Amino acid sequence: MSRDFYEFFCPVKVIAGERALEHIPFELGLLGAARPMILTDKGVIAAGLLAHVQKALASSGVAIGAVFDEVPQDSSLATVRAAAARYREAGCDAILAVGGGSVIDTSKGVNILVSDAGDVAEGGGDLLRYAGAHHLKKPLRPLFVVPTTAGTGSEVTLVAIISDETRGVKVPFTSTFLMPNAAVLDPRMTQTLPAHLTAMTAMDAMTHAMEAYTCLAANPLSDAYATSAIQKISNHLLPVLDDLKSPLGRLELAQASTMAGIAFSNSMVGLVHALGHTLGSMTHLPHGVCMNLFLPYVLEYNLPVASDRIGELLLPLAGPDIYASTPKGRRGTETITQLRRLRDTLNARCKLPRTIQETGKLDRSALRTLAERALDDGPVAFNPREADLSDMIGIVERAWG
Amino acid sequence: MTLLSRFRDLEPAAQHAYVSLMMAVIGRGLVAASQTDDETRRELAAFTPGMVIAMKVIPSGPSFALVLQPDGTLKLLPSFDGRATLAVVFKHLAHAFLVFSFQESTTRAFANDRLYIDGDISHSIRLVRCLNRMEALILPQAIAAKAVKRYPAIAASDKVRAGARIYGRLALNFVNGDRP
Repeated sequence: MSRDFYEFFCPVKVIAGERALEHIPFELGLLGAARPMILTDKGVIAAGLLAHVQKALASSGVAIGAVFDEVPQDSSLATVRAAAARYREAGCDAILAVGGGSVIDTSKGVNILVSDAGDVAEGGGDLLRYAGAHHLKKPLRPLFVVPTTAGTGSEVTLVAIISDETRGVKVPFTSTFLMPNAAVLDPRMTQTLPAHLTAMTAMDAMTHAMEAYTCLAANPLSDAYATSAIQKISNHLLPVLDDLKSPLGRLELAQASTMAGIAFSNSMVGLVHALGHTLGSMTHLPHGVCMNLFLPYVLEYNLPVASDRIGELLLPLAGPDIYASTPKGRRGTETITQLRRLRDTLNARCKLPRTIQETGKLDRSALRTLAERALDDGPVAFNPREADLSDMIGIVERAWG
Repeated sequence: MTLLSRFRDLEPAAQHAYVSLMMAVIGRGLVAASQTDDETRRELAAFTPGMVIAMKVIPSGPSFALVLQPDGTLKLLPSFDGRATLAVVFKHLAHAFLVFSFQESTTRAFANDRLYIDGDISHSIRLVRCLNRMEALILPQAIAAKAVKRYPAIAASDKVRAGARIYGRLALNFVNGDRP
């Protein structure tokens, strides 16, 4: 596509593939760090994933200063403060986040507090001073991220969302200085994900990529990442469900997630995310499930203004044969048909719900509330087609099933 | 060079003057809409009284700040210098000029990184809806359509009636020197 103006930024070093974890000591050394704190959660520990990291760091000159494994499912200010205190007590000099979205967001918050930008130099300890956009003015401590799911893309984004439990709100922090120094994609770290979670997180990444490609801030560079991510998920998701331990397949999905993350952090997302965030907050359904629910219905809604762009996604999604045999004017609807087919397959194989009704988590009478609340969610601004309340109600009615 | 292309390529000093004027109009227009337009009042009802809304050009360009009063109306803060609850921040005077000369819609400017939002993003979505509503009411459709993503369905009679109320209050606000 051509754009009269755009910005694109991704300074995160991607270290991907077999034995990627073993590159961490060298990379930390390049940044002058030798005593990282590992930030993780109980699930990662229980799955035995931390052992891979500990083994990779053993005998490398890098000593693990502390392990903080108390990150909850939704990151909170209290957790960030507790982890920052542990970091300082142990005299650490870097952060190694091992986990999913909550762990990664927590690590970004901790990095504000333990760096000169935070309370160490200023004696305040008030993370909220840095809430909002662009209030950090200098680089933070080295932060490496090892994702254990292949969906969020948080390892390459400049945002952290942290709950303020006292006020009951989610606080966004946005700064380029929050971006990790490195994302380490090692297939060993996602091999234990069960089929259901694999499908759910892959559809999260698929949504990031499709919205990145079809929303208002899409640009030539984000397009390249988005289409590659879609192709990788399309080619490798079902084979991985057949062979959950496949190193190559796992690596492809991990890369797809990171590429989709790079794409959407530079082009933003739209109504699928607005609806998904809202449904998630009302029902506590996982984010990936919510994305999977709304994706085809929002694409349908956007067809009148983005038919060509949606049609171009047919190539990475369905391959050259189907793309070439579909007339240009029908490619948009065919993209949605192919997406529905993939969702049907995932539903048959691992019960990933396709409609709100199938989740059993929301009463039909709450659809209007869902539509009203979603209208205030940030991604609404970047959707290619404007939506008012009646439009949103139409989408959620169709997504009901 | 046509008049239009000359306007689009104004010198910085002229851009500053134009953006300052538009900021004054928009700030007072929002105040007027909060006093006269039910839909704007419904949007503002979601905000907490005392909340400060600002629009500014960094580092020290034209700006305005409004505070939401307990009765749900907005009031201009003529010399506000603190951190607003919600700020729409243009990165450069030229970017603000693009938006206020209707060469780029607010949404497109956001997508093009010409500006950023400092504060709760959901509040900013409501604020943009208020801005869109006000622009749709007070501007000719041909101009307002360039400022918004989708021109809203407003009956001509409603547009005239609501627009006149906002214009009237806007004029009063200018004449009265922004007294409450």
